[in-house]
Amino acid sequence: MESRVLKPVLAVYVVLFILFLYGPFFVLGILSFQQGPEGGPQFPIIEWSTYWYRHIFGLTPPSRVAPLPLGESLFRSLTLAFMTMVTSTVLGVMSAQAFRKKFTGSGLVFYLIVLGMMVPGVLTGLGTSLLANNILGIERHWWSTAFVTHVVYTFPFAFLVMLAILNRFDGSVEEAAWSLGVSPWKTFRKVTFPLIFPGVLSAMLFAFTLSYDEFSRTLFASGRDQTLPLAIYGTFSVEIHPNVFAFGVLTTVFSFALLSVYAILMSLSVRRAKKIAMQEDIV
Amino acid sequence: MSVADTAPRPRKSNTWWLIAPGAIWMALFLVAPIALIVYVSFWTQTTFKIEPTLTLTSWKTFFGSDTYISSLFTTLRIWLIVLVTTFVIGYPTALFVGLFIKNKTLSTVLLVICVIPFWTSFLIRVLAWRPMLGKEGAINIILQKAGIISQPIEALLFTELSVIIGMTQIYVVFMVGPIAFMLGRIDPNIIEAARDLGAGFGRIFRKIIFPLSLPGVVVGAIFVSVMVLGEFATAAALSGRKVNLLGNIIVTQVGSLKWALASVVGVILTIVMGLVIAGFLRIVDLKREL
Repeated sequence: MESRVLKPVLAVYVVLFILFLYGPFFVLGILSFQQGPEGGPQFPIIEWSTYWYRHIFGLTPPSRVAPLPLGESLFRSLTLAFMTMVTSTVLGVMSAQAFRKKFTGSGLVFYLIVLGMMVPGVLTGLGTSLLANNILGIERHWWSTAFVTHVVYTFPFAFLVMLAILNRFDGSVEEAAWSLGVSPWKTFRKVTFPLIFPGVLSAMLFAFTLSYDEFSRTLFASGRDQTLPLAIYGTFSVEIHPNVFAFGVLTTVFSFALLSVYAILMSLSVRRAKKIAMQEDIV
Repeated sequence: MSVADTAPRPRKSNTWWLIAPGAIWMALFLVAPIALIVYVSFWTQTTFKIEPTLTLTSWKTFFGSDTYISSLFTTLRIWLIVLVTTFVIGYPTALFVGLFIKNKTLSTVLLVICVIPFWTSFLIRVLAWRPMLGKEGAINIILQKAGIISQPIEALLFTELSVIIGMTQIYVVFMVGPIAFMLGRIDPNIIEAARDLGAGFGRIFRKIIFPLSLPGVVVGAIFVSVMVLGEFATAAALSGRKVNLLGNIIVTQVGSLKWALASVVGVILTIVMGLVIAGFLRIVDLKREL
């Protein structure tokens, strides 16, 4: 039987594939513990140390390696990601809610929204800069022009997530509320929203992480003040030091922390939904 | 009059109020900017200023310059190579995850493992290849320790090869996902039937598995194409400024306030992308398949 030969071969291949995906991170992680400030971003490890981690937080004596400009850019990135998350989730829930009914032009609007995640950042970034710079004559800022391009990018993700959730949504509970005289807004708040909350959470997670890590749109649209990815990009042009690697490890840890919070919230809301379902069974 | 008729239910006009903010946002900040790129590409550019007097000068500059033309071909070449490498490297993985793993949990776990690197910053992922590929990088050290090479390979970093390796690693997952999804939907009875009729694996693969996975390949190829064609950061970080993609030209031109020429490159990029996507959609009718 061929599959008896093929399956183990493919299994070995997949292990190599995963090594290919993860290899650079291991190397990056190892080199972040390079000795400092003389140790460079390459092998061999002169001596294991946490110098570059302390360097990031400004805990080392000043040396020829300038500290990464993290403080303010981190604040900007988090604020921008939060603004983007709220806006695109609200827009996503509203649009997906509208798509539950057929309306004229729904096909066109669908493509219009999905286009936002397909058009490369170079183009939306360039276009928005042109709009601000040459038509409106306004200055570009991370909280204005970069913010609107971030929403253009993340809103389609939120929309698709909510669309998938609402497709499987049983409308009869809403009908029941309406027929009991509950207003549509109150029905949405008290009935629909709690039921679609896991989807809202996923949409928020998508929007936050995409915006937090967004680079190409921000490069064009954010003007003078840097966000975190721009600060990292700034280190590309000059010599790199292991502090960038240490920073990479820290951001990865931060992402996982965020992911764990999401997983915990998700399992809590699923458990609560199950509990309610069980109570209904008993009644 | 029944109770249900008097009950406050959402009216039809509500749909418009729900869809309007999103649609207007996209029209203002996506469609208008893209249209503006086309318009500005015909503006008159002087050293420090740009004026809305229509001219073809920037277009002539682009097509009259070897540097810009060659960046167009570099972009197309790297796009094609990365498309092939992501497909060749990704397909076997998708085959294993989608078809050979019968256990749904295990295949989900494998897919999640593939997606986890995306939780690291894109730029850090690109940067991670530098200590990997450099002259004193991990790959050279391993190959030398293993006695495969005696001298470190210098062509690994700051070349077109490093850009291709970097892009392949970053984008291969977008190929694996859709293909694995389509392979997972194949009815095992069809393969069983073909086997009972005496078909070998090669024949089953050519006649059944591959054609049925084709919509996944097309979706993956569209994802990879859109992202690679719009790339510039990987080239900037891993090629040592030797590889100039269309995206890099846009960044440099905007950096020196040459908005008109940047717009010309933007329009060309949009056209290339439109042609590529239209071409892929001709292979498979996605609406019917998905």
